[in-house]
Amino acid sequence: MWRLIFFMSLVPTIAAAETFTFALGNPVASQDFRVKTAVFVFRTEGCEPTHARVDAIAEGLVNGVRRSVDVKLAETAKPGVYAVYPVWGPVGDWVVNLRGACDGASAGAVVPMGPSGFIRESARFFPRLASAAEVDAALQALSQGRQK
Amino acid sequence: MKTLFSRHVSSKLLPLIDGELSPREAQQVQAHLTTCTRCRVDYEKVRSAIAALDELQTAHAPDSIWAAIEAAHTPQTAPASVGSFRWAYGFAAAVAVILVAAVVWHFAGRTDARWEVRRIEGSPAIAARHIGDVASARAGEWIETDSASRAAVQVGNIGSVELSPNTRLRIVTARADEHRLALARGEIRASISAPPRLFFVDTPAGTAIDLGCEYVLNSDEEGNGLLRVTRGWVAFEWKGIESLVPAGASCPMRSRSVPGIPYFDDASDRLKQALADFLSGNVKGNPLDVVLSESRTRDTLTLWHLLSRVDPGGRERVYDRMAALAGVPAGVSREAVLRLDTETLARWREELAWKW
Repeated sequence: MWRLIFFMSLVPTIAAAETFTFALGNPVASQDFRVKTAVFVFRTEGCEPTHARVDAIAEGLVNGVRRSVDVKLAETAKPGVYAVYPVWGPVGDWVVNLRGACDGASAGAVVPMGPSGFIRESARFFPRLASAAEVDAALQALSQGRQK
Repeated sequence: MKTLFSRHVSSKLLPLIDGELSPREAQQVQAHLTTCTRCRVDYEKVRSAIAALDELQTAHAPDSIWAAIEAAHTPQTAPASVGSFRWAYGFAAAVAVILVAAVVWHFAGRTDARWEVRRIEGSPAIAARHIGDVASARAGEWIETDSASRAAVQVGNIGSVELSPNTRLRIVTARADEHRLALARGEIRASISAPPRLFFVDTPAGTAIDLGCEYVLNSDEEGNGLLRVTRGWVAFEWKGIESLVPAGASCPMRSRSVPGIPYFDDASDRLKQALADFLSGNVKGNPLDVVLSESRTRDTLTLWHLLSRVDPGGRERVYDRMAALAGVPAGVSREAVLRLDTETLARWREELAWKW
């Protein structure tokens, strides 16, 4: 009985707790004019910005060959908001693999790149880091979508 | 051997302007000025400074100052008048400071900076004179392209503006703290890299205010036209009413009227048409209904601007549609939105921008 009461008392807390994740936006969302040439910006959600550790890798498929390039994230004027600049070339298909950790929680996102910026509708979010298979699948889907 | 007048004549410029040189000296200085660019520039500076001083209006001191000064010069001045003397001294010092500030302000406000104008195609003109490949223009001068010419203006050190054919553009202010152009007609493509609100373009329909951006702006002579933003943000303002236009969106400009409502370029044609009908007062076909039903999540850009342009009944419908499309963040209440609370609207816009 006491266990049930204890569990029930935790329910509102669990429900109210936000899941650690990413939100994507166009550079204007950052309200920081300096990052207007970024390909996109993102922010951490469900986490105290100062507790979050984030990085990003650009994963590409260029002429059938897999490529990985580290992305240097630019901090914006707002804590927890970062800008991504393209470090990949115009050839091939590319996704940006966002990875984050915060107070023991992890978050991931795979963001496909199109000819005119990031493809918001095709971005995938995970309550953990994206696996290699999920990144490959996103690249394959991008490549197939382009060939259609 | 170097003669006196083969050297620079800066020290003779003020006496020359004041007519204090002998006729022979004056003739020699003037001869030097015809060959020496540096001294000619100095001459113009001195002349401008004197002209600026001449423009300062005479301010009459209050009568009390004379009493204070007389009291100060009277040996048997009572101790009580020391305060008056101090006050007069202070007043005189303040007047001096104001005069100096006025001169500094006047010169800081002068728009002597020249911006480079580069010919891209055809034969653009500055102040009705056709230019070669490169020329410069300063505040007050018009830059014009005909149907076969294009030009690019270097805007101080913050960016550039390209003029399409048939464009007439004037440099209004060329200062480090304000770069302002006036587009009388035609089309410009601006690419600016500077903190917000340093670059402005006036049109007959209002002012485009750079918030860190790249954009294309076209206008006819009446002020009807379109602002299309490709990077960053632009605010378009008319009589205190502002439209905020982010990258990927456009905003119609209308002569002698409130700024249009921005929409994303990839919005449906039905939404764009309904928006135009709504703004022109054409209620046939219930344009607000169409705008609401055609809106996607990112079209909350358009709906956010509509909030303050519709009647209270319409505002409730717009709010409900926005809430359904994008949700309502913490700190934003229906009641505050419906009474158009400025901070609440700004808070919501900031959050909505993540979906734009």
